[in-house]
Amino acid sequence: MTDILYLAWRYLRFNRGKAAVLVASISLILFLPAGLQVVVRQGAKTLTARADATPLLLGAPGSAVDLTLAALYFRAPTLEPMRYNQVSRVAESGLAEAIPLHLRYDVRGQRIVGTSPDYLEFRDLELQVGRRFALLGECVLGADAAEALDAGVGDYVLSSPASAFDVAGSFPLKMPVVGVLAASGTADDEAVLVDLKTAWVIAGLAHGHTDVTAPGAESGVLERQEGNVVANASVLSYTEITSDNLSSFHFHGDPSGFPVDAVVVVPRDRKSGVMLRGRYEEAGRDVQMVVPRAVVDDLVETMFSIRNAILAVSLGLGAATVATTALVFALSIRLRRRELETMRRIGASHQRIRAILATEVVLVAITAGIIAAGLTLTVSRFGGTMLRLLAP
Amino acid sequence: MRSGFVAILIVTLVTLGGCAPAESPEDVVGTTTPVTGASALGTIEVSNYPLAYVVERLAGPLVELSFRAAEAPDPAYWRPSVEEIIAMQEADLVIVNGAGYEGWLKDVSLPTSRLLDTTAAVHDRLIRIEASTTHSHGLEGEHEHAGSAFTTWLDPTLLIEQARAASQGLERRWPDHAEYFADRLQDLVAELEILDAELQAATAAAAEHPVIFSHPVYQYLQQRYGLSGHSVHWEPDEAPAEGQWEELEHLMANHRAESMVWEAEPLAETSERLAEVGLGSVVVDPCSTPPSDGDLLTVMRRNTEVLRMLFASAP
Repeated sequence: MTDILYLAWRYLRFNRGKAAVLVASISLILFLPAGLQVVVRQGAKTLTARADATPLLLGAPGSAVDLTLAALYFRAPTLEPMRYNQVSRVAESGLAEAIPLHLRYDVRGQRIVGTSPDYLEFRDLELQVGRRFALLGECVLGADAAEALDAGVGDYVLSSPASAFDVAGSFPLKMPVVGVLAASGTADDEAVLVDLKTAWVIAGLAHGHTDVTAPGAESGVLERQEGNVVANASVLSYTEITSDNLSSFHFHGDPSGFPVDAVVVVPRDRKSGVMLRGRYEEAGRDVQMVVPRAVVDDLVETMFSIRNAILAVSLGLGAATVATTALVFALSIRLRRRELETMRRIGASHQRIRAILATEVVLVAITAGIIAAGLTLTVSRFGGTMLRLLAP
Repeated sequence: MRSGFVAILIVTLVTLGGCAPAESPEDVVGTTTPVTGASALGTIEVSNYPLAYVVERLAGPLVELSFRAAEAPDPAYWRPSVEEIIAMQEADLVIVNGAGYEGWLKDVSLPTSRLLDTTAAVHDRLIRIEASTTHSHGLEGEHEHAGSAFTTWLDPTLLIEQARAASQGLERRWPDHAEYFADRLQDLVAELEILDAELQAATAAAAEHPVIFSHPVYQYLQQRYGLSGHSVHWEPDEAPAEGQWEELEHLMANHRAESMVWEAEPLAETSERLAEVGLGSVVVDPCSTPPSDGDLLTVMRRNTEVLRMLFASAP
C-alpha cells in the first residue's frame, strides 16, 4: 500500500502545477455552498438576534425595511424624520417606554446616535472605560468607533457636515469623549452615542452664543421688536460646549416639533404591546409602528431564497467541475500511456496501476476537502466581522 | 418521673412558640401598611421642596427620597454636578416641576423613561412670562422658546395635578403598591382642596386690596385668587437701591397698593421706609425650600392666615 501511496504522491508532486489547479478548483466548488450556508446562517442569526432584542419600532410612514435597518444598524435614514411629540405620545400612553433615535449625522463615517441614557441600559451596553454622557455635548464611543477615530476618554471628536453642500445646515460640534463602550459585537460598536439634545445642537436647532438681549450687545442686534430681539449674522454659535458656555445653550422653536428618526418602543408587557400595535394600525396615522422581527424574517427569507438560487447554480458548477476533473484525469491517463506501459513492463499489474491512478484522485480530493473545510471554519469564526467590514 | 419530664418539655415548647415574634403589620408589604426600617423600593429624585413633600406624602417610607438642592439658597437656580447627574441617571424616578423651573434640565442627560414632568399635563394652564425678551436669528428665524412662571404649587389646584402626575408615575413604576399610593393621594388631594377653599375665602375681597409683590413668584396665586398686584425685584435680605425706590414710586402712582408681599421677612429699615410711603409688609412664603418648622401645608395655611388678615382690613 505504501508503494502505491508513494508513487501517487511522487506523481502529484512532479506535476504540482496541474495538481494545484485541480485542488483549488475542487476545494472552491466544495467551499462555495458550505461557506455560503455558514455566512447566511450567521447573518440570519445576527439579524434575528438584534431584531428579537427590539420589540417595536416607530417611524415615519414608508419602507419598514429602511426604518428597521436605520434603527437597528444605524444605516443612514431615508425616511422623513418624525416630530418629538411622537416619543411623548408613546410614553404618555403608559403602555411602553420610548427611546428616541436621531441618526442624521456622523463623525468621519461613524454614525452619531442621538438618544437618551435609556438606550445603554436597553442594549445592556457596558462601559470599558469612562462614564456615560451626562452633559450636553458629551459623547460615548463604541469600541470600533474609538479605534476608527483613534479617540479615547479625554479626547475630542468633531461632527461631520451632513453633506458637502450643506455647509450652513448643520453645526460641526466638537464633542468631548467621556466614555468608551466594551465591544458588544453589534452595530453599537461603531456608534458615537450622544444625548438627543446634542444631536439637535448639531442640527442647528439649539445653540449657544453671547446674550443679545443684554445691554451693550448692540453690535449683534439687527432689529428690536416688541418682546424679541433679532440677532444679526455676526452672532456666532459656539462650536464647543464647555462649562463656561453650557448655560447659554437654548432651543429655537418648540422642542416637541424637533426631529427624531426612529423610536425604540419597549412595551411594559405583551398585552401592552398588542394594544399599542392596535392603536397605531388605525388609518390616517402619520407614523408607522413595525415589529422588527417580522421585517427581518422577511429579509432572512429573501436571503435564504438567494442562497438557494446560488446553491442551485453551484450544484451545476459542481457537476461541471466534476466532469472537467474527470476529463482532465482521462486526458492525463491518455498522455501517460508510455509511463503506464513502462510500469506494466516492469511488473506492475493492471490492478496496481489502477490503484495508483485512483490514489492520485483520492489525494487530490482529500486535499481539496481539507482546504474547503478550513475555509468554512474560518468563515464561521470570522464571517460576521468580515461582513461588517465589507458592508457599506 | 417520665410523664413529668414530658409535661415540662411540652410546656417549654409551647412557651417558646408563644414567644416567637408575631408578624408585625409593619412588615407586611403590598398592603396599605408601609414597610418601616426595611429596604426601600427604590430612589426618587426631586427638584424642589413641594415635590419632596408630595412624594413623601404619597410614598412615605416606601422609597428613598433624594432632594439634592435642599441646601441651595434657591433650588430653581441650583445646577447639578456631573457626579450628581450620573447618580440621578441611576434613580428609579426623577420627578421635576417643569414649567421651566429646572433651568439645568436642558443641559443634562437623563433617562426619558424615568423623567417625570409633573406639569406636562397642565401645559395649557402655565403662565407665559410676558415681560421676558426672547431673541431670534434673522428676520425669518424662529424665536427662542419663551419661558413661563414656575411656582405652580402656589395654586393648590395645580399642585393637585402635580400630585396626580407623581402618583401615576409611582403606580407605573411600582404597580404592586398602586393601591397604597392611590389611598395617600386621595388624602392629600382632600387636604389641598380644603386649602384651596380656605384661600378662596381668605382672598374673596382681594380685588379691592391691590398689593405689590416683592418678587415675580406669585403669578399662580394671583391667577387663581384674583389678586390685584404688580411685581418688582426686591430681595428681603438686601436694602433696595434708590433706583428701585423710584421705580416703586412710579409704580404706585398708577397702582394704589396697600401692602408689599414678601417671600421672607424684609430688613427692618426697608419695612420702615415702606411704611412711610404707605405700604405695609406681609410675608407669604412660596416655600420652595424646606421650612424651618412644619411642612408645605403648614406654610400654606400660615400664608392663608396672612392673606385673610390682609384682605379683611378695610381699604
